[in-house]
Amino acid sequence: MNYRFVVNPSLCTGCRTCELACAFYHTKNKKPGRSRIYPIAHAPDKFVPVTCLQCDDAACARSCCFDALKRNEITGAIELNLEKCVKCRACVAACPFGCALIDEVHDEIIKCDLCGGNPACAAFCPTKALEYKKIEVKAAPARQTA
Amino acid sequence: MIDIQLNGKMVKAEEGEMLLSIIRREGIDIPALCDHEAIEPCGACRLCMVEITRKEWEGWKKHVTSCLYPAEDGLIVNTHTEQVMEIRRTILDLYLARCPNSKVIQKLAEEHGVVKTSFEKIPDADNCIMCYACTRICEVLGRSAISAVYRGHDKVIAPPFGEEPPDCIGCLSCAMICPTDVIPWQDENGVRTIWKKKFDMIACEKCGKEIITRDFADYLISSRNIPEDYFKICDDCKRIDLANKMGSIILQAEEAAL
Repeated sequence: MNYRFVVNPSLCTGCRTCELACAFYHTKNKKPGRSRIYPIAHAPDKFVPVTCLQCDDAACARSCCFDALKRNEITGAIELNLEKCVKCRACVAACPFGCALIDEVHDEIIKCDLCGGNPACAAFCPTKALEYKKIEVKAAPARQTA
Repeated sequence: MIDIQLNGKMVKAEEGEMLLSIIRREGIDIPALCDHEAIEPCGACRLCMVEITRKEWEGWKKHVTSCLYPAEDGLIVNTHTEQVMEIRRTILDLYLARCPNSKVIQKLAEEHGVVKTSFEKIPDADNCIMCYACTRICEVLGRSAISAVYRGHDKVIAPPFGEEPPDCIGCLSCAMICPTDVIPWQDENGVRTIWKKKFDMIACEKCGKEIITRDFADYLISSRNIPEDYFKICDDCKRIDLANKMGSIILQAEEAAL
């Protein structure tokens, strides 16, 4: 997990390109999916792009009774295994940020999977409010002798 | 890792892995109704039947359900031989008589060239194929609210004594996993009805949208260690809340920077 999805809401202009990128990236059966990211206005012309935070101790993964939600150690995303998902909606109710969603078009549960390591929303964000970047793990400061 | 021969092609597999998962992984399409990743295989629907043989069997063959047969080194598996197709057609023929109104069965049968059943149709048939997917998923949840009752022709899936199942939490897993969509349920005016039991739904404190049943939330709180406050508002309102909270922090930080 060297990469992190970084959201900088003060750069967001609310253009919703990320929503389109997400919906079209997750096209299935020639129909775009529901977006997993939503820029929400909290004040006039001030937006926060709300998306899955890939929590360390995620409520969605804990609530899943069938082990369908597992962390991908390479991308750091908690991925939903649709083969195992029964659509009981426990994760939708349990996520404290409301980021596990029901896609009514494809009749399945969806959550951000960071597009398997190359998030489309970050690639299309014109203002770099969304970025997927390498985080530098700070080494412990060298102890000074003398 | 072991080698097996699948439809004439050598493929690698883990020892003890079930044949059906290898077949699916290789992209070969064979029907299977009772199979689901979330539950243990049980070989109820019989449609995933394949033919197996080995070199040393000198032409002897066996027909097995691939969901229950573990892979072993040197096994020769054929998924679409004429005999296997004949077995599948017979099973689908029987299914068509048992559940004549099921869209899934009709479509599958048509794909295999069975348009009309040659058996006598069951009068007032439901669409249940007795695959036990619902009872098995309920077992995974640790509830076992429903099971098969009676024997032989009268066998049905039902709650104990045909009454409201005391262990049911209204999670809908059984209805969702059912391959032929037999289990009726409905959400109406904040009440969910399944297996004739009524459940109160938790309504979002802000917008009133129904989230999940109170019993299912209690189950998640006690067995999955989810804090109780998480079930108070719906996912839409949670996202707006998050945006407002993050927004106010940003505004404060921006003011402090000025």
